Formats: sequence, structure tokens, C-alpha cells
Amino acid sequence: MKREFMNQVNKVVLEVLYRSFRVLYREDSRIRQEIEGWAKDLTLKLVCGPGGAALAVRHDKTHGIVKLKRAQKADITMRFKSVEGAFQVLSGQKSVADAYAAHLFFLEGDIFQTMSFVRCVEYLEGYLFPAFMSRRILKELPGKQIPAIQVYALALLENGN
Amino acid sequence: MASYFEFTNPTKLCSGKGAVDNLEYELEILGVLHPMVLSDSVLEKIGTLGIVLDVLHAVQTGRIFTDIPRDSSVDVVNQIAKEYREFGCDGLVAVGGGSVLDTAKGVRLLISQDADDLLELMGCECLPKGKHVPFVALPTTAGTGSEATPVAVIKNPALHIKMEYISQHIMPDVAMLDPRMTMTLPPRITASTGMDTLCHAIEAYSCMQKNPVSDAYAAAAVTLVRDNLVKAVRHGRSKEIRMALANASYLAGAAFGNSMVGVVHAVGHALGGVCHIPHGDAMNILLPAGMIFNRKVCHDTYSELLLYLAGPEVYQATEPGKRADQAIREVIKLRRKLHELTGLPQTLKEAGADPALFPQVARTALNDGACIVNPREVTFEAVMKILEKCYE
Repeated sequence: MKREFMNQVNKVVLEVLYRSFRVLYREDSRIRQEIEGWAKDLTLKLVCGPGGAALAVRHDKTHGIVKLKRAQKADITMRFKSVEGAFQVLSGQKSVADAYAAHLFFLEGDIFQTMSFVRCVEYLEGYLFPAFMSRRILKELPGKQIPAIQVYALALLENGN
Repeated sequence: MASYFEFTNPTKLCSGKGAVDNLEYELEILGVLHPMVLSDSVLEKIGTLGIVLDVLHAVQTGRIFTDIPRDSSVDVVNQIAKEYREFGCDGLVAVGGGSVLDTAKGVRLLISQDADDLLELMGCECLPKGKHVPFVALPTTAGTGSEATPVAVIKNPALHIKMEYISQHIMPDVAMLDPRMTMTLPPRITASTGMDTLCHAIEAYSCMQKNPVSDAYAAAAVTLVRDNLVKAVRHGRSKEIRMALANASYLAGAAFGNSMVGVVHAVGHALGGVCHIPHGDAMNILLPAGMIFNRKVCHDTYSELLLYLAGPEVYQATEPGKRADQAIREVIKLRRKLHELTGLPQTLKEAGADPALFPQVARTALNDGACIVNPREVTFEAVMKILEKCYE
């Protein structure tokens, strides 16, 4: 039951992350710059534990990223070892760096390119979590180029496909 | 302290005088009849490789490959794996420094996963064990600690970057530390590789994955470096001193193999890839600046490190609030001493780095996996500051 709850939360947060990613590709120069540095058509996948929620995206020139079907094999896959581990990160209890340090996930693909994705997630966390949470989990607050409320509002209007 | 940690060290350690003499026995135990021996041309020329080959009687080497460059690359690894299969080899013996050992790890990865191209196997802790490929490592420098780590750093010449492969399945079955293997190291390389060891230990002791087990290894390594590095530079023929440094390198390797390294290595790898600065030299130049950068969040760990860096008298005599700074000063003092004795560069200018390339170095460093576990956020601006500070 608890696991299913976590799985549902992970699913919702992944959707928010995806939409915010697209919004901030337009609105935040740092995220745009990071994504523009990615290899052409690079695919990334985030898997939240065995049988858990997943998000697969592809680098796209117009939107920054676009969603892919889950089954596709990606160039970079960040795979959490458990639904619980993914929940700790997606619910703002742990940063990606903390999760890496605690071996909560493993990585398939190029570490070098993954670091850029990690920085993007940290920028996103700076927007999506309240400051007291971000301050607790991030080494430094990354700063915002637009208000967080605007990111949420634009994400709601964003096409989720 | 981390609320959860993992520690892996499955490698059997054979350390001390005569260790190499047991190589044939260890190979037999591992079921190896036709090992592929990896080394480099310099070690072949000066006879270090010969010491190893001389102990092999019943075991017939399947192939001896000595054409490994200073910075091994994906292409070299792929080529050696191909030859491993062609010559029907059934195990690996690596005799060399970090490049040779990491090459062997790459080859082991390819053979065990039944793959042809190392680029297909990139990742961190993601590969299954695969086929067992027996692997014995005989380090000939006391610095990289590669014989004790699950990390292989291999160059991607197309991208001018050093890629990291992290998997517990690439760790050697056996590591042999024999004073004969490092006896011929010139003083300058002894100093440079020794500072690499110190850097491994200090970063392992202060990075986000630090844990009680890796701390114990790191602290022991720092103490051994403190007591033996300058002596090894002065008296390179002493077997005891050489063994102490070889053990320090192994201990520091086991420490950072589990708690990882931070900003100093991230920038050092980038300087190696972009400006071709030898790794140990880069560590020697960058370590104090990296510590100063992290001091804000590592005050307590650096304070603790003073005990191992300077000994109990200095630790006791230093006010608690000043111990972290004193720890950094001890590193600078050691660096200065090594410069006086061997001419080991203390600045990037002395090492021949081109400051025009610093932005490229900084961008490359940011994408190094070591940044993620550095205790302080590593930004482009921060790396540029470190590089400028280290230039002169």
C-alpha cells in the first residue's frame, strides 16, 4: 500500500518535472544552455525502481526535450534501485547528489553527459521545492530567473505529451 | 556521517618482499594457464616486467602486450580485448602504473561482458558480473591505487575527455605489492605519485560518500605518506620505505574507491585531458587550492586530518579552531619540500599549462563525475578561480 502510494507520487512528480523542464528550457538561460550542449537526439530515461514510474525523453531542438515511449532504450538511464529510493529524491528528502552518495541509483551511459542532466535537475529543484527544502538538500541554492509560481502555472498549461 | 553507505574491497592483497614470487601460485589458484600480460615499453626496457615474467614457469603467457600509452584510450582497450580472444588467453596480469591497470580493467570489462567496444559499456554500478576473467594487478607506481578501486579512467580521444567506468566487477582478484616493482621510480615521479596518493586519501576523507571504513583506510594512508614520502624521494632504494608508500597507495585507493574523490580530481582529470598535465603533478598543484575551496564545508574533517598529516604533537599544539588551516599548511609545506628536492611543479605555469585553455578545462571539469560527491557545489566560476589561483 505504502509502496503504491510512493509509486503514484513518483509518477506525478515525474510529470511535473517533465513539464517544468520544457517550461524552463524556454525561460531559464542556464537550463537552455545545458540542454543545447547535449548530443543531438540524446535520449534519457529516469526509472523509479523495478516496476515503478518512468520518464523517457529525447533532446529536441524546438522544445528542449520531448517525451518518448517508456519501453525505448535510452542513451542514458538513471535507474533507482527501489521505489522507496526514488521517492526520497522526488519528494525532496534527498538531492541527486545525496542519492548518488547513498547508492540509491545506478547509471547506464556516459557519466560525462549525465552531469549536465544532474545540474538541470538541481536548477529545477530550486524552482519546484520551497526554499527551506531546497536549502536542506542542495549544496547551494541555484537561484531563479523567473518566479516559481510562474513555472508551476506554465507547467499546468504545458502539453504533457 | 552518511545514514547509509556501501564498502567493497574483494581484492586479495599480497604485500611485501617477495610478493611477486607468488604470482604463479595465485594464477594457478585462479585457474589461469595462458594469461595475457599487459605492461608498457619502459617497464620492459628497465627490466621491471622481466622480474614478473621470470617467476612464470608452468604458466605459459598467451600474449605479452607492452604498447600501452601513458593515457590509455578506448581504442587501445578494444584492440587488446580483440587480441586476448585471438590468442586464447584466460586471464590478465597487469604490470604497470595507472594507465596499464585501468587498461586491464577495461579489457576485463569487455571480455566479461562479451562486448567489442568499451563505449557500449559506459556507466556506473550498472553492469552484471558477467563471465569471470581472472585478473592480477602488479602496480609499479605508488600513486594511482588503481589495484584497489572499482574505477577505470580511460581516454576518449574523439572527445578529449577521460571517461570513468565504475563497477565492482573490474576490481582485480589479486593485487601484489612488491618493493622491486617501485624501486626504480625516479625521485620526481615518486614525489608526484605520492602526492596523488595523498590527494586520494584527503578527498576520500572529506567527500560526500565518506564512511567509517573508508575513513580508516584514508587516515592510515595519510600517515604512511607523511612518514615516508620525503624519505622515499631521498632514499629510493629502501625496500621498507617503498613498501610503506605502496601500502599507502593501496589504502588510499580502497578509500577513494568507496567514498570517491572531489573537485581536485575533477579539475585534474580535465587538466590531463585538455592541457596534458600528468595526473600526479596536477594533484600536487591543485590539492591546497581544492582544500581551501572546500574548507567552508570541510572544516571539521580537515581539522581531524591534521592529526594524520602532522602527527599528534602538532595536532595537540594547534588550537582546535585553527586545525583545518594548519592541515592545509601542512600539505603546502610537503609540496614545497618536494619541489626543493625534485623540482615538482607547484603551479600550472611551471607545469606548462596554457591559461587560454582554462575555460575549456573548467567546462570539462564540471562534467566529471567527481563533482557530484564534492561536498561543495562546483561551478564554472569556482573552477576558474581555482585554476587562476594555481597558475602562479
